[in-house]
This record gives sequence, C-alpha cells and structure tokens, in this order.
Amino acid sequence: MEELISENLYLIILLPLWIFLILMLGRFFAVYINKTLTHALTLLSSAMGVIATLGLYKFFTPDKIYEYSYPFLKINDFVVPFGIHIDRMSLMFTSVLFFVSLLIQLFSISYMKDKKKQYRFFALLNLFNFSIAGLFLSPNLFQTYVFWELAGVVSYLLIGFDYDQFKKSVAAKKVFIINRIGDTAFLAGITMSSYFLYEYAPVKSLASLSFFDINTSSVLIGAYTSRPLFLIICWLFLTAAIVKSAQLPFYTWLQDAMEAKLPVSALLHSSTLVALGIYLTLRLLPFYTLAPIVLKSATVIGILTAFVCSLSACSQTDMKKTLAYSTSAQFGLMFFAIGVLNIKAAIALFCAHALIKPMLFITIPNENEKWNYTNFVLFLIGGLSLSGVLFLGMLSKEIFVYSLGTTGKTLVTILSFLTAFYITRIALVATDKNGLEKGNVNIIEILSISGFLILNIGIYVYLRKIGVYKIAEPFWAAITAWISVYILYTKQGFYKIPFIYPLCHEGFYLDKLYMTVVVGTYNKIAKLSDLFETKIFSNYKPALLFSKCGVKTVCWIEENVMNRAVSAIVSFSRQVSTISKQLQTKNVQWYNLYGFMIITAIISCLVLAYIAFLAYIEGVG
Amino acid sequence: MYNEIIFYSASFLILLFGVLTLVSWNIFYSLISAIIVFFTTSIFFWLLGSEYNAVIQLAIYGFAIPIILGLGIMFTNLKKDRPVKFGFSNSKYGLILVCGIFILAMIYIVLISLLSVPEIFSTQIIFDEFINPHSNFMVFSKGIFSNYVWAFELISLILTITVAGLTIIKRVGRRAK
Amino acid sequence: MTEITLYHYLFVGLFVFVLGFAGSIVCKNIIKVLICIEFMLTGVNINFATFAKYCGGSSADGFVMILFYTAIGAIELAVALYIFYFMHCKKQSDNIEKYGEL
Repeated sequence: MEELISENLYLIILLPLWIFLILMLGRFFAVYINKTLTHALTLLSSAMGVIATLGLYKFFTPDKIYEYSYPFLKINDFVVPFGIHIDRMSLMFTSVLFFVSLLIQLFSISYMKDKKKQYRFFALLNLFNFSIAGLFLSPNLFQTYVFWELAGVVSYLLIGFDYDQFKKSVAAKKVFIINRIGDTAFLAGITMSSYFLYEYAPVKSLASLSFFDINTSSVLIGAYTSRPLFLIICWLFLTAAIVKSAQLPFYTWLQDAMEAKLPVSALLHSSTLVALGIYLTLRLLPFYTLAPIVLKSATVIGILTAFVCSLSACSQTDMKKTLAYSTSAQFGLMFFAIGVLNIKAAIALFCAHALIKPMLFITIPNENEKWNYTNFVLFLIGGLSLSGVLFLGMLSKEIFVYSLGTTGKTLVTILSFLTAFYITRIALVATDKNGLEKGNVNIIEILSISGFLILNIGIYVYLRKIGVYKIAEPFWAAITAWISVYILYTKQGFYKIPFIYPLCHEGFYLDKLYMTVVVGTYNKIAKLSDLFETKIFSNYKPALLFSKCGVKTVCWIEENVMNRAVSAIVSFSRQVSTISKQLQTKNVQWYNLYGFMIITAIISCLVLAYIAFLAYIEGVG
Repeated sequence: MYNEIIFYSASFLILLFGVLTLVSWNIFYSLISAIIVFFTTSIFFWLLGSEYNAVIQLAIYGFAIPIILGLGIMFTNLKKDRPVKFGFSNSKYGLILVCGIFILAMIYIVLISLLSVPEIFSTQIIFDEFINPHSNFMVFSKGIFSNYVWAFELISLILTITVAGLTIIKRVGRRAK
Repeated sequence: MTEITLYHYLFVGLFVFVLGFAGSIVCKNIIKVLICIEFMLTGVNINFATFAKYCGGSSADGFVMILFYTAIGAIELAVALYIFYFMHCKKQSDNIEKYGEL
C-alpha cells in the first residue's frame, strides 16, 4: 500500500498540471466552458493530494526516506536527475499545502461567483499547486530551483490577474522583480556549490546536490572551500530564503502582493509562496550548522523583521496591509526559531500560521461594506489564535518559549503582545469605520472557514494529548494586550505619537528608500547619458566630423557596391522566375508530374551510381 | 496448374479493366471497371496466401469505397445537363442473389483459412484444435497485437480523429453561416 | 505455362501502380482521379503481399502493412471526398482544372 502510493505520488503532483492544461486548452479550442466542471476538477486535484499525503504520513517514520529519480540532464559525467523525494518534512509541507489550497479553492468558488475569466483563475490556482508541490517533493536543488522559478512566474500571473487595472499590473511587476533578487542568489549558490563538488568530490553524482546526501555534500563543500567562500555560499542560500519569506530588507513586496484577489493573498500568505523560504532553510540546515554565524544572522534578521513589521502593522488602517505585515512578522518568528535550532517550534509555528492566516483573510469584509457578525466573530477567534491565546497558536508559542532563555522569552512575549495589539486594534478600527450588520453568509464560505477551524482545534487537541506543555508568558502578554486595547480604544485613549507613528505607518520608509535610491539612481543615469548625448557629444566638432566622414563612406559603399549586388541578384532571380512561371499551371496534376519526374530522376541517378560503384569495385578487384 | 490459370486470367482482367477505367467516357462505367479491378486484386491476395487481406480488400475496396464514390458521382450528376441513365429498379432479386453468393463466399474463405482438417461438421472437436496454427489468422493477430500494437492503435486513432474532425468542421461551417 | 515467380506478381503490382499514376495525371474528372489514387495504393499492396510471401519467411509483416495501408487509404478517401464536396459547392463543377483558382 505504502509502496504503491509512494511510487505513484508523482501522479498526484502532475494532476494539477494536467487539470491546468485541460482547462486552458479546453477554453482555447472553445470546446467547453463549464463552471461546474472547472470547480469539480480543481477541488478533485487538491482533495486527491490531501488524501494521498495524509495517507502516506502514517507510514513514514521520522528517519525513513523514499527517493527515486531518473537522469534528466546529462553533460558528460555530470547528471542532473529529476524525480521525487519523500520524507516526513516534505510530506508535512505538502499536506498543509493541499489542505489549505483545497479550502481556499472552496472559498474562491463563492468569491468568484459573478466574476469574469473564472477558468483562467482556477487553472492558475492548479498550476500554482503543481509548482509548490513539485518544489516540496523535489529530490535535489536543481529541481527545486526549476519549481522555485515556476512558483515565481505563477505568483506574478495570479497577482496581476486583473491586468487591465494599471495599479495591479505594476504591483505584480514589482513583486516579480524583487523576487528575482532571491532567485539570482539561489542560482548563484547552487552553481557555486555544484561546481566545487564536481571539481573535487570523489563521486561525481554528489554534484547534483541531492537532498539524500546533503549532509555529505555540505561537509565536503566546507572542506573544499576557504572559510569566507563557504560563508558566502551559505549567505546566498539564506538570501534566497529571506527574499521569498519577506524578511527584513526585502519585505516590501508582500504589501504590494496585497493587490491580488482575496483567495490569492490567502494562499500566498499561508502555505505557498512565503513557505518556500522556510522550507529551503530547513532543507539546507546542514550547511548552516557548519557556519554558526549564518544561523546567528538568520536569528537577528528574524527578530528584527518581527519587530519592525509588528510595529508597522500597529499603525495601519487598511486591514489587508496589517495582515501582510503580520505575515512578515510571523515568518520572522519562524526564522528566529530556526536560528536557535528549535525545528519543532519552527514547524509548529508554520502550521499554526498556515491554518490561521487564510481564515483571517477570508473573514475580512470588502471595502466600504458592513461586516457580518459571523465573520467578525470568526475573525476574532482567528486573531486570538494567532496572538497565542487559543488552540494551535498558543501551543506553538508554548513549544517555542519552552526552550528559550530569559532574553528570548522576553522578546517572544513582547512580540505576542504586539501581535494581539494590532489584531485587536484593526478589528476595532474596521468595525468603527463601516459598522456591523446581520447579513447572510454563504454556506460555502462557512464550510471552508470551519474546515480551517476544525483542523486548528483537532491538531491542538492531538498535540495536547501527546506532550505536556505549561501555559507560558506570551499567553498572558496577549491577554493583557487584548484587554488593554479594548479599554483604551473605547475610552479613545489612542493618540498618534508624532515621530514614531508616521515612521511605522510608512513601513519604516523602506519602500520609499528603494524608490529613491534604486529607481532614482537608474533615472539619473538615464538622464545623464541623455544629457551627454544631446549637449556634449553633438557639439563636439571632431566627433561630428568623424561621424560625417563615416556616414559618407558608408553611403558610397551602399550606392556603388551593395546596390549593384542587390540589383544583380534581382535581375538573376527575375530571369529564373520567368522560366519557373511557365511551369506554374495552377493545376495539381502538373505538380504531381513534376514530383514524379524528380523522384524518377533521383532513383535513376542512384541506380546509375550503384552500377558505377560496382564497376569500380570490379576494376579494383 | 490451377494457380497459373487463375493468375493469368486475373492479370488479364486487371490490365483490361484498369485501362477501361481510364479510357471510358462515362464516369459510371469507369467506376464499375474499378470495382472489378479491386475484386481481382483480392484474388491476387488469395493466391499469395493471405486470405485475411483478400477479405479486407473485398469489404473495403470492393464495397465500401465504391459506394462512397458512387454517392459522390450522384452528387455531381445532379446538374441537368448531364442526365443519368442508370437504375436499380429491376435488379432487386439480382442484388439479393449477389449478397447471398458473397456471404457464402466469405464463409468459405473463412472456413478454408481457419481449418486444417476437413471434418467441419463433427461437433466434438474443441475449438483450439480447430485452428491451424500456421494459418494466416494466427500470424496476423500475433503480428497486430505484438509487434504492431502501436501502429494499430495509431491507425484507429487517426480514424477516430478523421471522423470527429470532419464532424466538427461541418458544425463550425454551419455555425459560421 | 511457366511457373509463376515473384516477378510476375511484381509486374502486375507495378502495372497497377503506373496505371493509377497515369490516370491521376491525365484524368480531368476528380472522381476518376480519386479512383486512380486508390489504384496506386492497390499496386503497392500487391507488392507488399508478394514480398511477404516470397521473402518474408514465416512472419506476416507485409500482410499487416497491407491492413494499415487499406485503413489509411479509406481515411484519405473520406477526407478527399469531403474536400471535393466543399469545392463542388463553391465551383459547381467536377472538372479538376477549375479547382486551381482558389
């Protein structure tokens, strides 16, 4: 059973791709446009993924690895195989991915009800599933890179789905360009490490950077390279992870990604795009353990991101932006956990975040519309869970805090205080802005939200049964934050601190910094070169004379040499065409005859040549 | 001896009617001579020891394709300036007779190729022993389902695509109108 | 009468092929052209059968090829007739010379 599923898991990955092709090609050839079929196929692929991965999870003990691959790219003795690598971690990531995308696809059925181009939306969702699942199950870094790029492209297509709106298309472009930094760093790291392994390693197959022997290859790279070079390789990999997970210098793309539709942002923020950074860091942990300074830098980046983004989220008035900043902050917490090598806590935090964040996204109201009571209550439950008061959110923070020292405990406590602070504040701000109402909620939406909630509670109960954790400081901090924010807000105790508030509101001016420094520099260079050309170069006499002389020479050559050659060719081809024109009788039978004549001539030539060859051999003999 | 007589008479028929197909002024006469050519070809296949191909030739080239071509001819002859002098009114019984003879002939050919023993009518023989292992059918089926499976599937696919494609083109043309 | 050899059959096949080819070139009626194309296929089929009998040994590769050729011929005829129908609707003629103008 387990062998059967393991061997055929690639089919589960290929199913979304297949459905993507069916939907796109079906629409392309105008064979059918059936909404029910589209929804059913999309849901089917995700459901199959959930069943297969959860079913496999039971059989895979922590140290079991199943891997098969076939050579895909061969250059002499350098082989890059493609295939599938299944272990506990990839199964965990894939099952979370499929579960979350199943529920979000369920939600997007009701969300996209009256919108145009549904088939394209669902097809792209399928392609996104394919790319992410292929990344989680890839056996080496090369295949990971391929799917990494595919995920970037599909996220570009999904964010810029309404490409006729200028703002959205610009946002999609910006997201893609910032992600390119990480992609380039990733590619550079792969090529460098693969080069060293290929040049010096005793076994050439190590150069494919397979995950199966990542321990060996990381040790070997550490041995073959000098210390700074090894650190550079590690930092390149870390940069790739940081860019994809929206950490400190690069977190601005996540706020631009908010231009996407609600289901897409729910998907991006939970288990797909930003999860890739965490996944890559966990996979390449052998590299980092050999270089503790890289781990330390990851910790520092994580803590800084968490603080900066939490503070920025505290001063936003737009709900989606708050949630975007909170995603960055939560992933900063995960990097913190990885940096102190608490993998269990990192994965718990990831699971909790992946199950809570889509719920928050789904329940927020549309712009300038009143908020449903049901959605409001569900949002509050999700917020409580995220800030560490309820269910899985609480448990993950407890697991994390359990292993930390006093400083770390203080940091996490402050962070969870801030988390609770901004979630409560934004809920209160939104209710004040448009008010609450007693509207009807779509059954499909309720189904998908309750799916998230049930899984959240279920995992919590299961983990509570297995281990014993005591309630830690973050819980009390979050509770304090909730109560204090409510009291302050109702008594209008908030006021905007003159210097810090605008700083937080603009996201510490990082976006503007990029705009002024990078874009401004580029513009200035362009202007400078323009100035050089129009003002200086055109007034410089010798240059002008030189260019005039060149132009005249070229003109002479063109008139006397090129033109004559061309006209000779023209007259020759005209003569040929007058002959061939007579052959054109616009009758198929004549053309058949020509063909037959040519074939006969060729065959007779061959026969004559064969006879001549025989005669020559006889003469020689 | 018989083989030679059959061969020479058949080749004579092929030569004669092949030339007649091209020469005859009336398109119907040329069609009929073409049918005779196709029938004679099946005799050749039978002589060469491939009864299955002979049957296929009879069924497809002898009957199906001439009927389609005849439909095409009828389609062209709808014009008034070229009247058709051809009818099936009196040949109803003849048609039935020909069909009966054809069915008998088919049964004969099939039985000949299937059986190694002439004891056809004895009922106690098991079917497996009934079949000549060196007969054409066995070799044929082995060929189709072992070496040429892909070619066979491809041909069937092409057939399906042709049928579907012609239907779709027809529908699209109708929609365009 | 002499014994019938490989070459007798091959000659007949060749004759049918050449006849078909000449007809497809000479004839002006499009139905006749189609018939002649089928003649060409028939000639090829006879060649296949002959070689399968005399040179093929116990294998039936040539005979299987005949089956495929027959199927291909039928398909081709169906498509050709459809094109003919289409062109006839436009040109109101079965003379192939008028089909040159598109």
